[in-house]
Amino acid sequence: MRFTVVMDGTSAGAADGTPAGAGEGTADRTADGPSGGIHRRAAALGAFLRDGLKSDSAGASRGAIDAQLAGDTLVFYSDERAKDRLVALAPTRDVRLVRIEARRPERMAALLSARAEGGQTDLFLFAGGPAGTELATRLACRSGGQALSEVLSAETAPDRLSCRRSIYSGHLTGRFELSARPWCVAVDPSWADAGGSETVAHTIVSAIDETGGGGPDPFEDRERMEAPSSEDLAGSSFVVVAGSGAGDRQGVRRIAAAAREMGATFGVTRPVAMNAWAPMDRLIGVSGARTAPALCIVAGASGAPAFFWGIERASLIVAVNTDEHAPIVGEADLVLLDDAVAVLEELAAIVAAEREKR
Amino acid sequence: MRILAYFKVTPDYEALRESEWSAAAGRVPSSGGGEGTSRGPSADGGAGPGRGEHAGPADGVDTRYVRRILDCFDESALEIALRLSDALVGRGRAAGLGALSIGAPGAEPHLKTLLALGFERAARVHTEAALDFAPAATAALIAAYAGRIDRSDLLVLGARSSPGGGGTVPFRVAEQLGWPCLTQVTEVEPLADGRLRVTLMGDDGLQRLTARTPCVLAVGNAVVSHLRVPTLTDRLAVRDRQPDVLEPADLGVDLADVLRREGPSLAALEGIDRHREGVLIAGDTPRAKAQALFDARLKSLLEEL
Repeated sequence: MRFTVVMDGTSAGAADGTPAGAGEGTADRTADGPSGGIHRRAAALGAFLRDGLKSDSAGASRGAIDAQLAGDTLVFYSDERAKDRLVALAPTRDVRLVRIEARRPERMAALLSARAEGGQTDLFLFAGGPAGTELATRLACRSGGQALSEVLSAETAPDRLSCRRSIYSGHLTGRFELSARPWCVAVDPSWADAGGSETVAHTIVSAIDETGGGGPDPFEDRERMEAPSSEDLAGSSFVVVAGSGAGDRQGVRRIAAAAREMGATFGVTRPVAMNAWAPMDRLIGVSGARTAPALCIVAGASGAPAFFWGIERASLIVAVNTDEHAPIVGEADLVLLDDAVAVLEELAAIVAAEREKR
Repeated sequence: MRILAYFKVTPDYEALRESEWSAAAGRVPSSGGGEGTSRGPSADGGAGPGRGEHAGPADGVDTRYVRRILDCFDESALEIALRLSDALVGRGRAAGLGALSIGAPGAEPHLKTLLALGFERAARVHTEAALDFAPAATAALIAAYAGRIDRSDLLVLGARSSPGGGGTVPFRVAEQLGWPCLTQVTEVEPLADGRLRVTLMGDDGLQRLTARTPCVLAVGNAVVSHLRVPTLTDRLAVRDRQPDVLEPADLGVDLADVLRREGPSLAALEGIDRHREGVLIAGDTPRAKAQALFDARLKSLLEEL
C-alpha cells in the first residue's frame, strides 16, 4: 500500500512565521492562523500516520505500517522562504515539492489528479479542516476514487480501506468502507492534539515549479482579518462553559463574570452563541474550539455530543444543571443539581474569599 | 443574479433519547449509501465500485417520532440568501431568488414558507430514497437542478448537514458545475459591480475576499442563524402557489445509477461511551452546594493550577 500525504503550505510565510505584509506576528499567531495553522495540520498528519492508520494484514495490534517509508509527502507551497520550514514538518522521509502561486484548490486538485493517474498511490491523506476536505473531495471526483472527511482511524486491507468517523452530530461513530481508489482521506482535526511525532530526516525526491499554470484566480482582494480568537480556550487549564440553561443574555454575562472572577477561560455552547448571547469565538464543540482543561465547569448545558466533543478531554468535568435527566449528568465527574447562574456566582464568591485569605 | 439556496429538512436528532442511540449502536445498516464520491463528471461510470442494490441507508436510527427541522447551517444559508437578495434589490438590481430541497414531501411546508418570504421559485426534487449518507447523489441532483433547470449564478447552502456531516456536498456540486467554492462563509455582501464580498472562517483564520459568480458559497458558523418568519399577510399572498415538484429524471439524473456508484458505504454503527461517574454534590442551597464542591475538589485543584 502506497500513500501520499498532502500538505498545503500555500498560506505559510517566511521562516519566522511572519506573513509578508501582515505586520507584527506574535509567536503562535502567525499567518498560519489562529490555531497554529500548518504546524497543527502537519502534526495531525504525523500523528495519524503513527497511530491512526493500521494494516489489518499485519494485525491491527502491530500498529502503523512503516509510516515513514511506505509513502511520501507532497508539499504545496507558494513562498520560497517557507519551503525549508515546510519540508521540516513533513511526516515522511521522502518529500516532493510543488510550487504554485497561491492557494488554488481546483489547480491543486488537477495536479494531484494527474499524479493519481499513475495508479501508484492507493491513499492520499489530507489534513483536517475545510481546505483538506475540499482537496480530498475534488481529487476523488476527478480521479474516480472515494473521499471521506474527518476520519478518526483507518485500516487497510488489500481491496478496501475501512475508516471510522463521527456521524449524527457525534451521537454515533460510523464505519465506512472505501473501495474505488484512490482513497482520498482527510483526517479528523483532533489528531493535531495527539502529540508530536518524531523528527524525520528528509530527502527531497522532486521539486516542480507549477507557477503560472493556473489561469486567473476566481477570488480577489484577499484580506486577512484580525479575528477574535478562541485560542485561549484550547490552551486553558480551567474552563467555564455556559449553556442555554443560563436562561438569557444576562445569565450568560453573569456566568462569564463569575468565570473571570475565578480566573477561568469562558466558553459557550452553540445555542448560546447562536442566540448572540456571547460572541462566536467563545463557541466550544465540533464547530468551535476543542479544549483539554484540568477542570471544566459546565453551567446549564445539556451535554449534546457535538458540544461534549469540545470538553471530553477535560480531566475533571463538573456539571451544574437543574435537569437530573440531562445527558451531561452521566458525562460529568461531579454533578450539582441547581441553577447554573446562582451556583457559579456563589462559587466565584467562595474562590474570591479564599484568595483574600491568602 | 439568479441565486439558488439549497436546504435539507432533517429529524431533530437532539430530541432522540439516549436509549435510541444505544439501540442503534451495533446495528449494521442493511444497505448503505456512502459518505463518499462516485465517479467524476467526466468519468464513464463503467468502472465504479458497484455494490448492487441500493435501498437507501436503512441506518438503524429510528427517527419516525421526532419532529423535522431545517438543518441549522442550511437555515443560515437561506437567511443569508434572502439578505443578499434584499441588498441587491435595494440597489436596484434584480435578484431572482430560488429555493431547492430534495426528498419526500416533508420539505413542502418549508418551501411554502420561503415563497411567503419572497422567494420567487421553490422546488423539491422528489425521491423516496434516503440520501443521508449519499453525498455524491445529493450533489448530482443539486448540480443538475442549478445548472440545467434553474440556470443559477450563485448557489448558497450549508457547509455541512446531519447526519453525515462530512461537509463534502458543496465541493462535489462545485466539481460538477465547474465552479469555484468557498466554505465556512459567514457573511456575503454585494458589490456595485455585481461581484460579492465574502467573509469566511478558513483554516487560517477569518478572511474576506471578493468572488465573482458563478460560484458555490457554503455557509458555516454565521451570526445570521435564524430564518425570518413570514407574516400572515405574506402567507395569504402566496396561499395558492405550490412548490414545483420534479423527479430526478426531469433533471437528467439516473438516481439509481448514481446511487449504485456511491461510496464509501456505511458499514456499521458504533456507540460512543462518554460515561463518567456523575457523583452528586448535595446541599440545601446553591451556596451550600458551591461550598461543598469547593471543599471537596476545587480548593486543591485551583491551588495547583
